[in-house]
Amino acid sequence: MLISCNRLKKYIKNASDIDFLTIWDDFTLRVAEVEGVTVKGNDMDNVVTAKIVACEKHPESEKLSLLKVSDGEKEYNIVCGAPNVRVGLIGALVRDGGMVSGFKIKTRKLAGYPSEGMMCAVDELGIGTDHEGILELPSDTPIGVDFKKMYPVEDIIVEIDNKSLTNRPDLWGHYGIAREVCAITNHELLPLELLELSNDKKDLEIKIHNPELCKRYCGLKIENLQNNKTPLDMQIFLYYAGMRSINLFVDLTNYLMLELGQPMHAFDARVVKSIEVKLAKEKDTYTTLDGVERVLSKDTLMITNGDEYFGIAGVMGGLDSEILPDTNSIFLESACFDAGSIRKSAVRLGLRTEASARYEKSLDPNMCDVAIKRLAYLLKQENPDMEIVSNLTDVYPNPLTEKIVVLKKDKLQTYTAIHFSDDQVVASLESLGFKVKVLEDAYKIIVPTYRATKDVSMDADIIEEIVRLYGYENIKEIPLKLELTGKEEDTIWNKEYDVKKYLATRYSLNEVHSYLWYDSSLLKACHLEKTGVTLLGKNENNLLRDDLSLSLLPVVKNNLKNVDKLGIFEIGTVIVDNENKRRLSILLADDESKMMNLYYQAKEIVVSLFKSLKHIQVDFKKGKMFSYYNENLSNEIIVNKKAIGYVHVFNGECVRYIGKKKAMVAIEIDFDKYVDEDANEILYENISKYPNVTLDYTILTSKDFKYDELLKILKPFNNKYVKEYRLVGTYEDKEVKKYTMRYILGSEEKTLETKEIDKFKEKFMEHVAKNGLDILS
Amino acid sequence: MKEKVFDLKNKALEELKTLSKEADVLNCKAKYLGKKSELNEFLGSLKELAVDEKKIMGPLLNQTKKELEEAFSHKLEEINNQISYDFDETLPIYVETGSMHPITLVTKEMTDIMKKMGFTVVSGPEMEEEYYNFEALNIPKDHPARDMQDTYYLSNGKLLRTHTSPNQVRAMQKYGAPLKVCAPGRVFRNEDMDANHDTTFFQIEGMVIDKGISISNLIYVMRSLLSETFKKDVKVRLRPGFFPFTEPSFELDCSCLICGGKGCPTCKNSGWLEFCGCGMVHPNVLRESGIDPEEYTGFAFGFGVTRIAMMKYKISDIRVLNSGDVRSLQEFEIE
Repeated sequence: MLISCNRLKKYIKNASDIDFLTIWDDFTLRVAEVEGVTVKGNDMDNVVTAKIVACEKHPESEKLSLLKVSDGEKEYNIVCGAPNVRVGLIGALVRDGGMVSGFKIKTRKLAGYPSEGMMCAVDELGIGTDHEGILELPSDTPIGVDFKKMYPVEDIIVEIDNKSLTNRPDLWGHYGIAREVCAITNHELLPLELLELSNDKKDLEIKIHNPELCKRYCGLKIENLQNNKTPLDMQIFLYYAGMRSINLFVDLTNYLMLELGQPMHAFDARVVKSIEVKLAKEKDTYTTLDGVERVLSKDTLMITNGDEYFGIAGVMGGLDSEILPDTNSIFLESACFDAGSIRKSAVRLGLRTEASARYEKSLDPNMCDVAIKRLAYLLKQENPDMEIVSNLTDVYPNPLTEKIVVLKKDKLQTYTAIHFSDDQVVASLESLGFKVKVLEDAYKIIVPTYRATKDVSMDADIIEEIVRLYGYENIKEIPLKLELTGKEEDTIWNKEYDVKKYLATRYSLNEVHSYLWYDSSLLKACHLEKTGVTLLGKNENNLLRDDLSLSLLPVVKNNLKNVDKLGIFEIGTVIVDNENKRRLSILLADDESKMMNLYYQAKEIVVSLFKSLKHIQVDFKKGKMFSYYNENLSNEIIVNKKAIGYVHVFNGECVRYIGKKKAMVAIEIDFDKYVDEDANEILYENISKYPNVTLDYTILTSKDFKYDELLKILKPFNNKYVKEYRLVGTYEDKEVKKYTMRYILGSEEKTLETKEIDKFKEKFMEHVAKNGLDILS
Repeated sequence: MKEKVFDLKNKALEELKTLSKEADVLNCKAKYLGKKSELNEFLGSLKELAVDEKKIMGPLLNQTKKELEEAFSHKLEEINNQISYDFDETLPIYVETGSMHPITLVTKEMTDIMKKMGFTVVSGPEMEEEYYNFEALNIPKDHPARDMQDTYYLSNGKLLRTHTSPNQVRAMQKYGAPLKVCAPGRVFRNEDMDANHDTTFFQIEGMVIDKGISISNLIYVMRSLLSETFKKDVKVRLRPGFFPFTEPSFELDCSCLICGGKGCPTCKNSGWLEFCGCGMVHPNVLRESGIDPEEYTGFAFGFGVTRIAMMKYKISDIRVLNSGDVRSLQEFEIE
């Protein structure tokens, strides 16, 4: 919101004591965030009021005129292209060496004739947007006067962050800002000049059908309005505050909105029959002032005129009641609507206006009548002969009264750790318009209604008012003694970090983050018909992932454009059966030919992860989670007899999605289960003092014979001296396969004798031979 | 002559230092100690000297010879101890290193600091109930934050949490007062993406509830936390702010990390950087979580880890973080 300091000064007694350039840092600290302060008028120099005393057409140009312009002392030759030039017109002349909008103006030849300055249009002066012709000042304007002295061109414009005013409906107008400036600079806020209305005429026909949505509706009818031209100083103010000047009646309603924060509307009184406030019919259409036809809903609050829609309440009026050039009587509306209803209408219609932005903040209904009286006062300055032909008709079903809040003194002390005197409390609250009664252990505070609609309703709110004016920067910090309070949840976070660090350091994997939803193009390309929880109101990328590994495929695909092999991981959320689940996914990708390496690397990572971080031995069992994983190569990860995750190999469609001949292996571990799984305690084992015997056997098998099958044969072989046996090597050629098994024999009680070893050898050979396999000697 | 002997010895020792091969050492030895060596000549000419000089030069020459012999044999021993391998020992080293996500690194750093300060790390679900995300936090039904265009609502009636603040309520309901918790986590906003906005980003929530907690304590905790995080003395200041779940609410600024408060382009010459929102926990929130606001007070804060990570690592485009592009993430090696 843009605030004009010229305007503020009008509401503050002894405003000249205040430095309006520097107070805004304080304002940011005490009230709301100031985003910028701009000084206006510095870019105008040597501009004076001047009269055209002679005017003739340029001999060769259709558009140009040759003027003689007088500033009372001297006549200047001016070549001018504006269509509205005529003798007697008083306008703004920038003289030789002067400046407008930052441009230096010098005497020069224009179309063959010297031009000793320029007659300016409004936009050239930097005080509006109009460029139809040169500025026309009233005919009684004295000439030769510095333009900047005569009009409020010099100003300080302050931009306040709208977001920081969300909960302050009272700050959506200059008067409210002035109140805060007074409070922080210790000045007095002046009352507004209002037109007192006698109310001895007839009431207007106004009816509210939904008092919960329309809190108040005030109307006033004024006739015999001859002058619809906005004075230039008000035009300049409106322009600086970010609005366009249209005509006096419309400008005044905007002016009131900028002054008090109260949106108003002026209807052409000739078309007004009777005003009603009620909800629209579903799917009805209505064309707003901007010429757009809008579809209404049964929740849209409307202003109607007789049976016809007349405006969308709190959002925008319609074309029917627009102020026309010949309008000479107006019906003024000043109403208060429910914040939520207006916000929803505006959002639904996609039409956020200055009015709706203010209504959304919960305006004070007690401002409605004040705004009308204020507007009438200002209108009368320009139309002394206007006639008020109705009562100020006020439909106010449930008047809002002042709120009372009690603040206990010790609560103020607890919140702030500061001892405030009663005088301090009273002074700061009263400067903001609160009334305070000091009790022994508390303050009884009457909250003005302009603060009571939203943000001040309880003691903590009052504390905020007192402390912000005291200055947050004046609060001394007090150390807070915090004992360590470790709760069990701490460990989840630690374990995530430990696993990430292990994978990154031990296996050089890269941690990635990806989105909680599947990439639609992935599901489509892989022909996957997944169902699950979806994001509402979205057609693309709207299905929440239930398989972290699958959701990482687009990440793999993108990376494989730049690298040949990849190892990534993520610990993230998936949604399974309407529940949040934490998963760890590790994805390895390499050339197609490296599948076996990749596959064993994945298994190694799983084994090593559990062995190193949990001291648990894992097992694998054939199994997979989804159909897009390979039947033969996918395994369940078994920990303490429970399935805790999978080592998956992607099937063809998912590999084709990558667009390259690649092998991909995915590990998916249920991280909640991982966290819950207690680590095995490490117990010290005595090392036997007797030496072990190591025996290697190379077993010859057929080409398609798998280790798994060999294991099935070896497992039943029992011998009490076998401490351990494992595969130490494999060899494969075109016809055969060889497995080298290492047996470690030993005893805790004695050194094994040759005959015991020989007996083992004999029995083992026998066992293997019995199962149809040969041992190479 | 005396000087000549000294020079000779020094010259021999210097030359020896430069040698590394056995053969060279042997040649050098022959040169300085062999039959035709200068030293041998000196020894040979000893008998021609006067008695006085003989008494001085005799022992000097013998001593020199002994020293040099020792030096040569020492050097030879050294060379013989070296095992020689025949390969190119100058090849470059390439270390393949993994990486952790910058968010993980920054979150770890910050939670470590907060743990030292006595906070417990808690966590909550990303798919959250409306109750925890809004109602319990005193965010009324018609509040703009609850609009469709800001929040991801889900087909099962739940939503994706829009902030980490639901953790406040969950922690209070679970543990009661007094309480000191922090909750790092991922949050979601239905936003258009650009270099500064992503739908998915990270926050850390912090909360302290106890008897007699004041704004003064909040300032202390925030200043300590930020000073430790940025490893320098950081000043903080509070400004009025508005959040439904705190009252009073503040915007917290910290002194500019680039210029230290003097004013620079980063802080738009104000000397301050907007850091986070915070405030005294709203009585309604305490009440909703089963804590009596007449007995306990507390403060809460929430800040964007994503933003801190971007500041710390000078990441100019937020979209890098969720891109999964290992080319950019690889740089974040484990600290």
